[in-house]
Amino acid sequence: MSIKEWINTNESAKEMLERVLTERPFLLLPPLHRVPLRVGNVVEIVGPSPSAKTEILIQAAISCVLPKQWNGVHYGGLERLVMYIDLDCRFDILRLSQSLKLRIMETKRSSDQIDWSREEGLCKYKETKETIADFDEDLFLACMRRFLYVCCYNSFEFLSTLKTLHYQLQKESEAHGVAVHFLMIDSISAFYWIDRASTPLPLGFDKRKSLSLQTVAETVVQEIRKLLQMQPMLVLVTKATLFGDGSLTSNAKRTFRKWHSQDTSYLRTLQLDDQKYLHREYMPSVWQLFITHRILLRVSDEECANAESRSTPIYVSEWLLPSLSFVDKFMVKDAGISMVT
Amino acid sequence: MAPLKSLQREFPIIDCNFQQFCASHGIYSVEDFLVHDLYSLVASAEQQSSSEELREGISQVISIIGSQHQPWSNGVELLGDAQKNKHVLPTGCEGIDMLLQGGLRVGHVTELVGPSPSGKTQVCLQAASNVAVKFMGVVMFLDTCNSFSPRRMACFINQHFNTPVEEVTQKGLKRVMSSILCQSVFDIFSLLDVLRQLELKLQFQVNTGDCKLRLLIIDSISSLITPILGGNGAHGHSLMIFTGFLLKKLAHEYNISVLDAPPPSAEDFLVFFRKRLRALAPAPATLLPFGSDHHPTTAPVTNHMVCGEGGILKPALGESWKSIPHVRLLLSHDRRSNSYNISILKHPVMVSGRAASFTVYG
Repeated sequence: MSIKEWINTNESAKEMLERVLTERPFLLLPPLHRVPLRVGNVVEIVGPSPSAKTEILIQAAISCVLPKQWNGVHYGGLERLVMYIDLDCRFDILRLSQSLKLRIMETKRSSDQIDWSREEGLCKYKETKETIADFDEDLFLACMRRFLYVCCYNSFEFLSTLKTLHYQLQKESEAHGVAVHFLMIDSISAFYWIDRASTPLPLGFDKRKSLSLQTVAETVVQEIRKLLQMQPMLVLVTKATLFGDGSLTSNAKRTFRKWHSQDTSYLRTLQLDDQKYLHREYMPSVWQLFITHRILLRVSDEECANAESRSTPIYVSEWLLPSLSFVDKFMVKDAGISMVT
Repeated sequence: MAPLKSLQREFPIIDCNFQQFCASHGIYSVEDFLVHDLYSLVASAEQQSSSEELREGISQVISIIGSQHQPWSNGVELLGDAQKNKHVLPTGCEGIDMLLQGGLRVGHVTELVGPSPSGKTQVCLQAASNVAVKFMGVVMFLDTCNSFSPRRMACFINQHFNTPVEEVTQKGLKRVMSSILCQSVFDIFSLLDVLRQLELKLQFQVNTGDCKLRLLIIDSISSLITPILGGNGAHGHSLMIFTGFLLKKLAHEYNISVLDAPPPSAEDFLVFFRKRLRALAPAPATLLPFGSDHHPTTAPVTNHMVCGEGGILKPALGESWKSIPHVRLLLSHDRRSNSYNISILKHPVMVSGRAASFTVYG
């Protein structure tokens, strides 16, 4: 390579800006909105069960499959494909469809209301009712088609899915005309115990790489890394805290507070322990190093009592990687996730 | 997964030469292919003299791998399957059915959690009788602690037949009782054995087109799993999670295969079991070291004792089990009004925290 070639510019500022802007569609989903995420990142969402991990994935998927604009209404989505690999085998499509329908209707209604405020004098109430009635079925189906799903009942199935994923994604992208933007894995820890105790087929050869937790993790990382080179995606992975959060459950803590309301020193030690044991890593190091972002979720002690005299749990999210000092609180409602201030 | 040797008959391209090449890379079975970097394998195949055949062999194995995983589907297909096959089965307890918007969803693994007298078995029996009478379905009851009572079952069933004619009632009762299959299992291995046999049978029945099993009840699963947990090894947990996945697969899979083939008969299936709550000593005792996130088997069922004083009840089987069931319901019993309370701990569609109460008659 000559020096001149080396000095030559690769791209102009304009080209770079265009590239960067397409590669970085800003993600504005409530618990994930603090950190700018771009394709190529691997985000791990850690939390006990239930802590709204799958819900975050579902909401992210909805923003991805929604179009930016449709029939003059601004939905603000990415209009890309989502690949959801379900290792927990607990995904419920009804939750996605219900939430997507609500999102479409709400967006449409609010945009209609803006129009009305411009041309005053219309009977607003009646119009709102009509908007709900003509729910956009075509848009809904188009969005649902952009959601791709596969479930795996064991590590073999997971690995064989990953091995053939690139080919499948290419096929799907061609069929839809848009690329896959999110790769979701729910949850990476599903086969932890099974792999830890697995014994491979005894064929009696020394050189053989045996299937274990370590080799499975290595292969998964290797395959995803290869995949990201060929097809840039944002990877969202959930992980359950298998070893407890080391503290008592939120219920337990609440009772404690009642018990020891006078004994504050005791409470403080309890909370300290709580912090220390909050997140215990158990995945192989090759996986840990692969993660670029990590967010920790838990159920908070508070509950939000609403009008129907039932209490909705409040979840707390905290960024561990990059570590941010503040925590966010959010709630899960029928329409999706909303922040608590 | 199959050793390469055994594939030779079916796929002639996987011949001796190919097997030798694979063996030089430490690959002896399809399983080994999964943990191997196929790109580097292809690259090294290029350098061999018979590169063309080797590459063909590799792509043959990849297509075998491709057939190993579950089929892909998109949101529209999933929704279609859910609307067509994943109905709800009413349990017959009004409070529960109202709370769950109709009842237990087919394809879900539903878990009932509660302290010892909190109506878990009663709900199981009631659901079994309701499904057997109203849906003409077969119910399988796997009994791990001798809690199945045919007399109580007959009692529930008789409530459905409100005819004064003794003969009609007797006939109906006989029919319904014969569609409720009860089997005692006393350890995890016989449970796995039963589930495996069930899977084979269902596979066969889906092919032949008569499958009537609608409800599988395991009462209670924790008494099988708790004894194998503990110690330093991962085998207890491994068996527990394995059982969980087998249940999820049984519950879900038989709808998917119906979707692929023309649907033989409305074939619904649901796993349903209950679990015991165990008392948990408060405070530092829970900060147990690695691998013992569950409580020792010897912990007595002291729930009623600690309850009043603010002791903490925690579902058995620990943190890892939580990722298994789709729905977790917490049951409790109010002695004074003789009513049962139920609340949602986890549900894929509904917001957790909702509660209702119901009564068990008879």
